[in-house]
Amino acid sequence: MSDLLSFWATQLPALLRGMRISLQVTGMALAIGIPLGLIAALAVQSPSRLIRLPALAVVEVGRGAPALILLQFAYFGLPSAGIQLSAMMAAIAALSWTTCAYTSEIIRAGLQAVARGQQEAATALGFSRLDELRFVIVPQGMRVAAPALLGFAILMLQATSLCFTIALPELLSQAYQIGTITFRYMDTLMLAALLYAAICIPATVLVAAIERRLDRHTA
Amino acid sequence: MVRQAGAETIVKVSGLGKFFGAHKVLDGVDFGMGVGEVLAIIGPSGSGKSTLLRCLNQLEPHSEGVIDICGSRIAADAPLSRRDLNELRRRAGMVFQSFNLFPHMSVLRNVSLPQERVLGRKRAEADERSRALLDRVGLGAKADQYPARCSGGQQQRIAIARALALDPKIMLFDEPTSALDPEIGLEVLAVMQELAEGGMTMIVVTHEMHFAETVSDRVLLMAEGKILEEGPSVEVMRNPKTPRAQRFLQAVMNR
Repeated sequence: MSDLLSFWATQLPALLRGMRISLQVTGMALAIGIPLGLIAALAVQSPSRLIRLPALAVVEVGRGAPALILLQFAYFGLPSAGIQLSAMMAAIAALSWTTCAYTSEIIRAGLQAVARGQQEAATALGFSRLDELRFVIVPQGMRVAAPALLGFAILMLQATSLCFTIALPELLSQAYQIGTITFRYMDTLMLAALLYAAICIPATVLVAAIERRLDRHTA
Repeated sequence: MVRQAGAETIVKVSGLGKFFGAHKVLDGVDFGMGVGEVLAIIGPSGSGKSTLLRCLNQLEPHSEGVIDICGSRIAADAPLSRRDLNELRRRAGMVFQSFNLFPHMSVLRNVSLPQERVLGRKRAEADERSRALLDRVGLGAKADQYPARCSGGQQQRIAIARALALDPKIMLFDEPTSALDPEIGLEVLAVMQELAEGGMTMIVVTHEMHFAETVSDRVLLMAEGKILEEGPSVEVMRNPKTPRAQRFLQAVMNR
């Protein structure tokens, strides 16, 4: 047991470096993907086909293709089109796309859950279409979507482990690396799993608390 | 109290028709009203009262006929641009059966935000006006609460204040007390009566027969998408001419 603990203590710094990268990729993918998801959610509801169809294509490809394929595509596929991305950039690009596609559906459901009377009231007051969305529909829709979005964010952190296939030194790559050197795969992966859990479990608790807080003013 | 309707016409509707699919919910509706008049629209459910009201501010675009309201002319085959519609809607305030306050904003923000976005008022100026209006409907103390903390009657009075804050030329009420229990409805009716006495031009779709008879100057009685009877309130409600109107009033007055 003390052997395991001392092994973990030696390997922890490398794993923490990996975790930092995992969190960075997750943060960037969410920071880019969720706003794009909002835009896509609005675009797929547009009456104009010119806006709706491209948005639908982005969303359906992003949801239809596994994140692993998108990662491989961004890292190994794009160079043949003359676009060279670092492992970090490729990871952010691919996971942003996945985030955009999935969150657009979550957000669309949230927007559609806003009571019809809300839009009518904004219209009847003479709000422009943009103000109607900005002040009335989107804030309420995002509140509805927030718990599901936060749940998705936790899944995204776990999905960053796929980046070990494009040689990004994130948490799982680091663990794998240590495994190949020490042959103590089991011990290393256990520690990696504990580190993922150390983020995900408190995050889940936090999500529940935020959910309660968001419900405050709803009748 | 019957006031003399102003000579100036504010609403004129001719040949108004509205289809929902193949179903014709409004059929050849004609009426007009002057500035300062209070018009009640009564009739059985499904007679097209609310649809008529919602055509006036184009929440429902109409299918046939012409609406002249607050200086805008809307023909069924020539709908207004969103810009012109917004201008019309600013001048025609609407109050809904279900209040439709914005639940994520404080009461004060509910009343101030439209002034800022639609009229371009500064925050301080809008808040000042909002507080004055909230005081007027008896809810000055609720300014910093959220709508969910207010009773239905209070929410409806806030909704009235929100519409009044845009300085409308006419107020459209769509069954403003139907979602309230009768006792709570009275506080809303009192605010509306005060508005009417202050000279506000109002169209009120309602099931409150007492209000229709005593506060409004004229009554339109609708059934099956048409206006059955129209005239001074007491006359229409006490001496209806058509059998359908007699049946309806018999049913609602003697309960």
